[in-house]
Amino acid sequence: MNKIIFHIDVNSAFLSWEAVYRLRIRGEKTDLREIPSAVAGDVKKRHGIILARSTPAKKYGVRTGDTINDALKLCPNLVMVPPHYDLYESCSEAMMEILKEFSPCVEQYSVDEAFCDMTGTVGLYGSAVVAATLLKDKIYSELGFTVNVGISTNKILAKMASDFKKPNMVHTLFPEEIEQKMWPLPVGDLFFVGPASKRKLHALGIHTIGQLANTDPDILRAHFKKYGEVIHAFANGIDLSVVAEEAPPNKGYGNSTTIPFDVDDGSTAKMVLLSLAEKVCTRLRADNVMATVVAVSIVDIYFRHSSHQMTLISPTNITNEIHKAACKLFDRLWDGTPIRHLGIHTSKIVRGEVYKQINLFDMNRYEKLSRLDAVVDTIRERYGEDSVKRAIFLKGPVYHMAGGISPEKRKPMYKEGITL
Amino acid sequence: MKMLNMPVDVIATFNVQGKIRPNYIRLEDEEHTLQTFKIENIVFSREEKYAGMPAIHFCCNIIRNGCAQLIHIKYHVKTHQWVLVREG
Repeated sequence: MNKIIFHIDVNSAFLSWEAVYRLRIRGEKTDLREIPSAVAGDVKKRHGIILARSTPAKKYGVRTGDTINDALKLCPNLVMVPPHYDLYESCSEAMMEILKEFSPCVEQYSVDEAFCDMTGTVGLYGSAVVAATLLKDKIYSELGFTVNVGISTNKILAKMASDFKKPNMVHTLFPEEIEQKMWPLPVGDLFFVGPASKRKLHALGIHTIGQLANTDPDILRAHFKKYGEVIHAFANGIDLSVVAEEAPPNKGYGNSTTIPFDVDDGSTAKMVLLSLAEKVCTRLRADNVMATVVAVSIVDIYFRHSSHQMTLISPTNITNEIHKAACKLFDRLWDGTPIRHLGIHTSKIVRGEVYKQINLFDMNRYEKLSRLDAVVDTIRERYGEDSVKRAIFLKGPVYHMAGGISPEKRKPMYKEGITL
Repeated sequence: MKMLNMPVDVIATFNVQGKIRPNYIRLEDEEHTLQTFKIENIVFSREEKYAGMPAIHFCCNIIRNGCAQLIHIKYHVKTHQWVLVREG
């Protein structure tokens, strides 16, 4: 029997969720979805890009990822609202709950996307299109936002289908419809084909998905290696992956931040690295894993990117050890140009019981530090991230757990009314 | 300016089945003095989950200046706050 896979995609997710919150919870009258509007970062903190935009804003040519200045040039009356990540998490969770009512096998693909394996549910809901429409309408009436549902026999086709026409639509893309519905589309629309591959494909004279599908795989392999085979298979609607309920284990844990000011001295940069390491290591410890490789990346004020990595003697998840390695890397890497952005990435993750290579000159610090970290994690879990912090961050310009989603992005301050 | 959903003080009873019934509500009048009104009857109530935030919406009658007035209030389950959605 053929599988039936749904791909559910929230229409301009962050913006829709913001709009529902403002309409239904705060009781505002304007619907952000009906005016040119966008969820955008904070220019003053140099997080100045558009995170999501409404359909009317799209008509002005505003794209996700544009800088706020560019967006305002395209659309001077653009209404911008700050992001609100706590809300997005609750919306996403609520949607996943509804999906789990419909299908026993749900894979959350990102905060606003999911795959559902709907094979064998005909007896419950009727045909796939009927079920998808029911699902879409249930999400709209209960949670207040619209979604697109793509239906097919595998994940890649379902994902392509949900992208066709927005918003609030159900589309099918069964294998027999590929030629008619997917092949005429530009090759850049294919899942997995980014701007760089698009340019390369254009250079080869491949402009539509159909042309890609009918290209000799050997040519693609010669130009793109393994990746060529993957996109050739996708263009032909071949995807053997199954809807996996459990996310695959993380291969690496990273954290980075754009600093609100230019950093031109090593000690401040190392403070930023410490705050980044703090968060990375908290995540490592929470997942009960250790990292063997530490990498540091720097973006300077001229937007030049550089990075450096090293392997540790033995895996660790202790903040001090990761920070020490990061500082060593930083000293080797930094040429003195003022810094805009710093990042730490850890990889070669080791799971489960790990035998620690004790260093002769460690002076037993390892056990003490790991106990200390465990206690700090417990305190933070119970009383909040800010309940305990290193003294170096007390009066400094750097937040003690930088990167990721900062507290002001979780819950913005509204001028009047309630914040729930 | 029309006020947005306003947090309000409410006295409510919770019965053994977990049913919630608002009994008294405290509203501010034009002179900014607080007045307590008895909730006479509940016309309807429904559970909502807009934006993933569970809430219970009550439409009920209070007696104000001798006449019955319809008000809509909401109880936010996660934050335990009551808000006045609209009067009339």
